[in-house]
Amino acid sequence: MILVWVGLFVAITWLSASERFGIGFSLPELIDNFQRAERIVAQFLDPEWDVFFASRIVDAFLETLQMAIIGAVIGCSLALVFAFLASRVSAPGTGAFVAGKAVLNLLRAIPDVMYALVFVALVGIGALPGILALILFNIGVVAKLLSETVDGVDLGPIEAAHAAGASQLQAIRTGIFPQVLPNYIAYSLYTFELNLRASAVLGFVGAGGIGEVIDVFRNAFEYERVAIVIIQIFLIVFVVETVSIALRRRLV
Amino acid sequence: MTSVDAPQRTGTPVRPDRPRPVARMTINLVVAAAFLWAGLTVDVDLGQLVEAPATFVRILGLMFLPPDLGDLVPSLAAMQESVQIAWIGTLIGALFSLPLGFVAAKNVGDRVTSNTVRQVLNGIRAVPELVLAIALIPLAGLGPFSGTLAIGIHSIGTLGKLTSEVIEGIDAGPLEAATATGASRLASMRWGVLPQVMPEVIAFWLYRFEINIRASAILGVVGAGGIGGLLSDFVTYRRWDRAGTAIIVVIGVTILIDLISGAIRRRIIAGPQGDVDPGSDVDLGVHGPTPDGSDERRDPRGVLPE
Repeated sequence: MILVWVGLFVAITWLSASERFGIGFSLPELIDNFQRAERIVAQFLDPEWDVFFASRIVDAFLETLQMAIIGAVIGCSLALVFAFLASRVSAPGTGAFVAGKAVLNLLRAIPDVMYALVFVALVGIGALPGILALILFNIGVVAKLLSETVDGVDLGPIEAAHAAGASQLQAIRTGIFPQVLPNYIAYSLYTFELNLRASAVLGFVGAGGIGEVIDVFRNAFEYERVAIVIIQIFLIVFVVETVSIALRRRLV
Repeated sequence: MTSVDAPQRTGTPVRPDRPRPVARMTINLVVAAAFLWAGLTVDVDLGQLVEAPATFVRILGLMFLPPDLGDLVPSLAAMQESVQIAWIGTLIGALFSLPLGFVAAKNVGDRVTSNTVRQVLNGIRAVPELVLAIALIPLAGLGPFSGTLAIGIHSIGTLGKLTSEVIEGIDAGPLEAATATGASRLASMRWGVLPQVMPEVIAFWLYRFEINIRASAILGVVGAGGIGGLLSDFVTYRRWDRAGTAIIVVIGVTILIDLISGAIRRRIIAGPQGDVDPGSDVDLGVHGPTPDGSDERRDPRGVLPE
């Protein structure tokens, strides 16, 4: 049995790495390329610090921040509905539960940039398609996490609410929501963090934010500027993550 | 489904926390203020927003009613490339992250090295795959090779962090026992630590593979291979019917792989009987996500896209 698994593993890996059926993974080629790309590497290693506070870059980062906030607030609010639909504990019926779960799986199977790609074609370039993409992306993340938290709540308060004649909605509001609120806030913070990282790349398909600036620099072969923006993304993500982790530790 | 059974209540009931209106008010105010600021200053043309729903419905119709199934084969081939990128990328990540995870774990490595390595892993994690791909394309050329390296490098960061966290949570007994018999450092890692962490670590590898499928499906938009390039072209040339097919392929393959990988993960974590009691307190790593501060939950069942 073990042999079958190992054989399968080796076969898949070999096929995937091979030139003919897969991606053509070769170390010698990489080393060769590294030598040829010496100039670009040198550019990368010598970032142009002067543009660190250039208004164009700062504005783009502000747009990234705006997109992340709007996407997170709207996405996390809508996610509440889906989360309660996608848990057996809170769904009003089996049909709603199955449908809720299915929609969530569908939402999560599409990557954020793919949403952005489609929305850019639909509403034109700019921050709007990016925000729409983030909203759908956030619904998927938060609703999934929250529905699993709802699965594990103490059922007592819900029974009590129903016993007192509460409707399903009232039972959710008073029996479940207070129990999962700390988790919900933590997940929302987490998605805000994800959004900052995601909106850094949404710009590659024209959906606004700092990614657009990277794309412009890259197309002009200004890798010393690309390097600066990457350093900035790194710093911002790092700071936001540290703060968010500290906040989440206190919450949950 | 055991989830509808009433929970057992033993001992003194836990009193719920007293509501803290001030804290709640603060949170609400901060969120509202941030949302207002962002909403009022963001550069969005409201005309766009008004037209969006109608266009959206129309294009959805063009995409899926019906999708151009004549294009199924090229889409599947491109998706196959994405899956291969994710597979090899995950392997690269697994290969390098395992030793790095050991070095980064506080309880087995020495302090200075473990702190340094952890910071390096954090640094790698902070850069999105697509940005890595952009940086790598000049070096590894346009195509799947760059994408694979990008996914591999990012995975080293995420998997290394998770591995070190799993190692930090081990039972110290076997490690002490191995050391007591005079085992070398390497041998005590091999026999005292590795067997304890391997199931969970392999589950994380599979989980990462699922995430990497999503990442590799979009690498093509910057020219780093996979189905993203195809989709990007279809959308650019307004071939909605073909784009619809490509999206269907992405969704189908992603969900399929999620299902297979998820089943294997549960089997690895839960053992052959597979009867993990969802209410037990033993941390099997398959419970609902608990964001205890780490950005990637120790939860290979729930899918966190990043």
